[in-house]
Amino acid sequence: MEALRVICHIAILYIFYYIGIVIQSFLNLPIPGSVIGMLLFFTALTTNLIKPAWVKDGAHFLIKYLPLFFIPATVGMMNYFDLFFGKGFLLILIVLFSTLLVMIIAGRLSQRLAPDLTEGTTSSDETVREVQNG
Amino acid sequence: MDKILPILIIMGIILVYLGCRYIYMKYQSPFTLPVLLATVVIIVILLTFNVSYETFLTGGKWIDMLLGPAVVALAYPLYNQRKLLKDFYIPITIGVFTGALIGVMSGVILAKLLRFNDSILYSIAPKSVTTPVAMDISGSLGGISPLAAVFVMIAGIGGAVMSTFTFKYTGINHFIGRGVGIGCASHAIGTSKAMEYGEKEGAVSTIAMVMSAVIVSLISPLVLLLF
Repeated sequence: MEALRVICHIAILYIFYYIGIVIQSFLNLPIPGSVIGMLLFFTALTTNLIKPAWVKDGAHFLIKYLPLFFIPATVGMMNYFDLFFGKGFLLILIVLFSTLLVMIIAGRLSQRLAPDLTEGTTSSDETVREVQNG
Repeated sequence: MDKILPILIIMGIILVYLGCRYIYMKYQSPFTLPVLLATVVIIVILLTFNVSYETFLTGGKWIDMLLGPAVVALAYPLYNQRKLLKDFYIPITIGVFTGALIGVMSGVILAKLLRFNDSILYSIAPKSVTTPVAMDISGSLGGISPLAAVFVMIAGIGGAVMSTFTFKYTGINHFIGRGVGIGCASHAIGTSKAMEYGEKEGAVSTIAMVMSAVIVSLISPLVLLLF
């Protein structure tokens, strides 16, 4: 029963994904179909077209195991190993350094600009604590 | 064999992932992050048994199929936290715009300084955004799309791994700072790590990732004009 509900919820999410892909290819947009589908789904939730209860378990499931779904893509790096021997190794360092720079500056800046830090200094608490993924 | 192999690969990926997840829960460290550990373990297995990436994908594509709906599912925490996003849209917008600009510029400038050729510059420019967007951007700039995807993976996994000690030593302890920082730098892989900090961080990271994808696709051609 539980599993069936999760599958039905994922099917609903899949429909939004599919609509996103259709819109993306139809209008030839540079934004991926999944992101378009997400924005549509967000709109459907805020306009009450879709009740949160209809997708809750499926969404929880997919987010809980989110890193799993990246693995087929990340393994693709294996085809490019030779590129990073010798001088190419510097490219890895550039990407890591630039990533660190973005994280620190964007993070510090937005935190500085965020109002009313007095009561919310600690990071968020409640939900999704069960999400122990990576 | 043709029918059994993909199923074995799917089961293998799930087993490796669950194993890595278990290890991560027991020994939490940036270097045991499941997406990193599982990727390394699977690549080592494939290389050891001389299995090509193309063969791996006969099973892998079925798991990859769920990535789309999983990205759609990110709208759910976004919806739960909608009030918060409304309250903080100014710091989020300014933070993401700055982050997107720094991400594109620093990658391009450093690669240029080290005398990498133009097709590398075009491939490294969109590394902070999610794979399909990055591949499209680099393709339209004249870069190498698969190489862009590799840089995206390094930025994603690298950022997720580095976030813990970065936040610790730079005093980024607010969910806005954490969400914007990790979403801007490490797109969806970073967002999966942000979900671990909490739902608020995850929601902010999702917004940051989406905004950053749009901004980077607009500014990349402009930044590259400068170089």
